[in-house]
Amino acid sequence: MSESAAPEAVVVIDDDYAMRLSCAKIVSKMGLRVEVFEDGARGLEAVAALKPGLVVVDLKMPGISGLEVVSRVHEIDPQIIMVVITGYATIDTAVEAMKSGAYDFLPKPFSPDELRLIVNRGLERRRLALESQRGEVERALLKRTFVTFVSHQLRSPLAAIHQYLDVLQRLDEAGDSPARRREWIGRCLKRTEELQSLIADWLTLARVEGGALLKERVEVDLKSTIVNILENYRAMAAAEDVALEVSLPEGETRVRGDRTCVSVLFDNLITNAIKYNRRGGKVTVSGGFCDGEIVIAVGDTGVGIPEKYRPFLFDEFFRIKDSGVKRTEGTGLGLHISKRIVSEMGGSIEVESQAGIGSTFRVRLPAWREPADDAEMGGWE
Amino acid sequence: MCAKVLLIDDDRDFRTSVKSLLESSGYQVAEADSGHAGLLKVLEYKPHVIVLDIMMESSTEGYGVTYALKYLDEYAEFRGIPVFMVSSIKESPDERFPMSAEVEMIRPDRYLTKPLDIPRFLQLLEKAVASGVATD
Ligand SMILES: Nc1ncnc2c1ncn2[C@@H]1O[C@H](COP(=O)(O)OP(=O)(O)OP(=O)(O)O)[C@@H](O)[C@H]1O
Repeated sequence: MSESAAPEAVVVIDDDYAMRLSCAKIVSKMGLRVEVFEDGARGLEAVAALKPGLVVVDLKMPGISGLEVVSRVHEIDPQIIMVVITGYATIDTAVEAMKSGAYDFLPKPFSPDELRLIVNRGLERRRLALESQRGEVERALLKRTFVTFVSHQLRSPLAAIHQYLDVLQRLDEAGDSPARRREWIGRCLKRTEELQSLIADWLTLARVEGGALLKERVEVDLKSTIVNILENYRAMAAAEDVALEVSLPEGETRVRGDRTCVSVLFDNLITNAIKYNRRGGKVTVSGGFCDGEIVIAVGDTGVGIPEKYRPFLFDEFFRIKDSGVKRTEGTGLGLHISKRIVSEMGGSIEVESQAGIGSTFRVRLPAWREPADDAEMGGWE
Repeated sequence: MCAKVLLIDDDRDFRTSVKSLLESSGYQVAEADSGHAGLLKVLEYKPHVIVLDIMMESSTEGYGVTYALKYLDEYAEFRGIPVFMVSSIKESPDERFPMSAEVEMIRPDRYLTKPLDIPRFLQLLEKAVASGVATD
């Protein structure tokens, strides 16, 4: 999944034995890893598993056609560079292949130099694309799949509940068992809650995106907000056998923002710290001042967040699904929303974490200043 | 003979209700919670029909399953197994780019939407089992 520093892999798919052999020789002499396959099906499997940087494929093969390989490879990873090998009379197909996303083509017969050149150029282009567009490409993909994803997220719990009720109704006619009925109703309630919290998250996000924070900026006291939230979660923490500790500084802890949003922010961090903790662990909320900012740290003694995931932590829908990581229910929107809130308020949020030991989320927010101070900055209408 | 159905879906609640439904209709049922687990289960359980969720962990995980069934040698004996594709999103397969394995493996009337329309589902399943047995 992550890009490693190992030499880039090249996959060659060609039904011609001699061709495979010579391509492999040339490419491996370039210091690249190379794997060869004689048909499209096997080649595609390998592409899915190896995530090579470049694929060389013969357009004319029995079985899955080269053209189809081209489009399938790009379904697997649009960043893989495709080079197609064509016979003398198949330039039309080559053009077709380029239209479906191939990077370039090599007409047969070709020299080792021609292959080397095209592979080098292809990989160079990939490197550039990866470096400069990485973020953009990902964002574009995300946007495109966003609507599908959201409707999937919203419909799944609803479909599960509906299916339970439907089946229950049917089994009832056949004499249902009360134990099963009780269990299923319990699950329906759970899924309903899940749906509720998803909708609540969406509404908050819409609120933040709609600029509620800019419009409605009032004085919010962090200390009392946090104490209230902790109070709300006493029972949940006790059930998970997690201790809650708080040590907020003396003095002013007021910021300027939207009351609901500020609550949502710390609510997210505190529930995460409880959810992703261990039995017998603890959550510590502490605070301080630094350069006109109030710094609040929410620390836990939980599972921690492996380093490789940290860059994605604040992305919408991101959830860690490692086997080693505790599986809890959630929407994957909490931290994304939190980050949005913090940045709208002119602050920042960062995380420190050690896998297996715990995590600390640190929020910095500009301290409240009397409106008079702001007059010269353009007021706050 | 008691037909065996394999449910591949990452939603445990969906599996639970559908399993009870199928068992009460006389089927044997096994479950798998991911495409990968499903593929392993296919070899071990040797189902007659597969009910497959398209959008599991990754948005196209279900397609990986049809792909393996269609092209991998270990699955040669399942190449013709009836597969029902289930999704919670209403979309017809021709509204998106169809994948070849899928087009060849899944008949258009075997795309179902969650929640399943129970009478229709049971009817289709019965037919699928009958056809599978007939061509065995
Ligand atoms: N304190 C923490 N310790 C370890 N992992 C965490 C912690 N906070 C968040 N994570 C990881 O980051 C992911 C994203 O968190 P986020 O709060 O955005 O969503 P969530 O907890 O899955 O759902 P929800 O929004 O309903 O709380 C989580 O799934 C979890 O894997």
